[in-house]
Amino acid sequence: MSDSPVSMHTPGNEPTDEAPNAADPAQQKQMEQAYAQMKRKMSMAEIGRKIKHKIMVLSGKGGVGKSTVSTGLAVALAQQGHKVGILDIDITGPNVPKMMGLDGRKLHVEGGRIHPAQGHLGVKVISMAFLLEDEDTPVVWRGPIKLGAIQQFIGDVEWGELDYLIIDFPPGTSDEPLTVAQSLPDIDGMVIVTTPQDVALLDSRKSISFASSLKVPVLGVVENMSGYTIHGKGTPGSTVEIAAPAGRTLSAVCDEEGKFNITLDIFKEGGGRSTAEEFGVPFLGALPFDPGFVRGGDDGVHRIVSEPDGASAIAFAKVVSSVQSQLAQGSGSSLEII
Amino acid sequence: MAEEILELRKLERRDNDMELTYEDGTSFVVTYDDLRHACPCAKCSPLRNEDEMSMQLRRTVEAYPKQKPMVQTVGNYAISFEWATGCSSGIYRFERIWDLAHRNDPDRGRPYVHGAW
Repeated sequence: MSDSPVSMHTPGNEPTDEAPNAADPAQQKQMEQAYAQMKRKMSMAEIGRKIKHKIMVLSGKGGVGKSTVSTGLAVALAQQGHKVGILDIDITGPNVPKMMGLDGRKLHVEGGRIHPAQGHLGVKVISMAFLLEDEDTPVVWRGPIKLGAIQQFIGDVEWGELDYLIIDFPPGTSDEPLTVAQSLPDIDGMVIVTTPQDVALLDSRKSISFASSLKVPVLGVVENMSGYTIHGKGTPGSTVEIAAPAGRTLSAVCDEEGKFNITLDIFKEGGGRSTAEEFGVPFLGALPFDPGFVRGGDDGVHRIVSEPDGASAIAFAKVVSSVQSQLAQGSGSSLEII
Repeated sequence: MAEEILELRKLERRDNDMELTYEDGTSFVVTYDDLRHACPCAKCSPLRNEDEMSMQLRRTVEAYPKQKPMVQTVGNYAISFEWATGCSSGIYRFERIWDLAHRNDPDRGRPYVHGAW
């Protein structure tokens, strides 16, 4: 990234009335950087106006399904006819393009603006993965370079008019969400993804506190990998017993066709809801533990696309509906600047 | 310092100052000189640690040409100002703006230690 994400600020070197000398190459470069930075800032302000809703998707812990939730939200909203974009801010582990069936694509640059790739239902996607020559190449960048890249992803991308921009972050509460919160005006809020295990819940509490310190509203908590439902067949009317985690035994009665189903709470149960209640933030819903998410992610076809009437798609629809009702309550800042 | 602050609803830039209107309708005026002297960036903040340097900073900002800054919200928690002199580093949390409006010390008497805020 050629330009510094840090704006120049030197109180002792403010312009004076003296006639300026001709700029040397270093000064010229500084001026060019300042100009690029100014253009980017103006562009960021414009993005703020052109994109109606900006939603950050975070988790404290890795591997809880943030990208699955991000892509699911995006596709579900696009299915409703909205114009949607996904900004994959995970610089070092970008997965969204693969999950959206866009791996191997290259970004189109025209007039100094980056045009996003477009996936299923026209969902626009920007990700570091598009810039890597080889998907096995690691991105080894220190903070300031990462921040420059993020600002470029925000300020130099031609998103056009969007109803929703979903921003997928790496796990944790470090530079990336901070940079986005500082760069993008009027973020609607954060969706915190967790699994019901104690470690993930502990970290998701940090994410909620982080949102509070940034004054970004928490739209709510999504509990992923909530329960795995086993379907089977037995003698009609008979009782089936299953050995469940934590030494418990679950039972179900086969219906008249002999079918039964039992949900195993592999990672405990209800943790997402109780964390939401503890912090006084909305619980957006629980997504089942569904191997179809894994297959869909690998194949680039989201589960809610490949099985639109399945239990996962229904659960996702509830989450999306909860997010939309939170957005409708309009908790954003209403500052008028004249 | 968990003082409850009201929501800032309107910021009107005038020639030498800005008028701030809060959700209860109360209005306050903060001059650009006061605003710039209280800049929370890492270059200006240490200059307020000592009285003499703080006065020098004050003289510096008072010597700047008086021009309306560009104002932008930062996320939902702060405002940033871009001045004609090119400075734009300070991110003013709403709590800081509230303190300036109410003539409170926005640094709350704490000296700036790099990386500590």
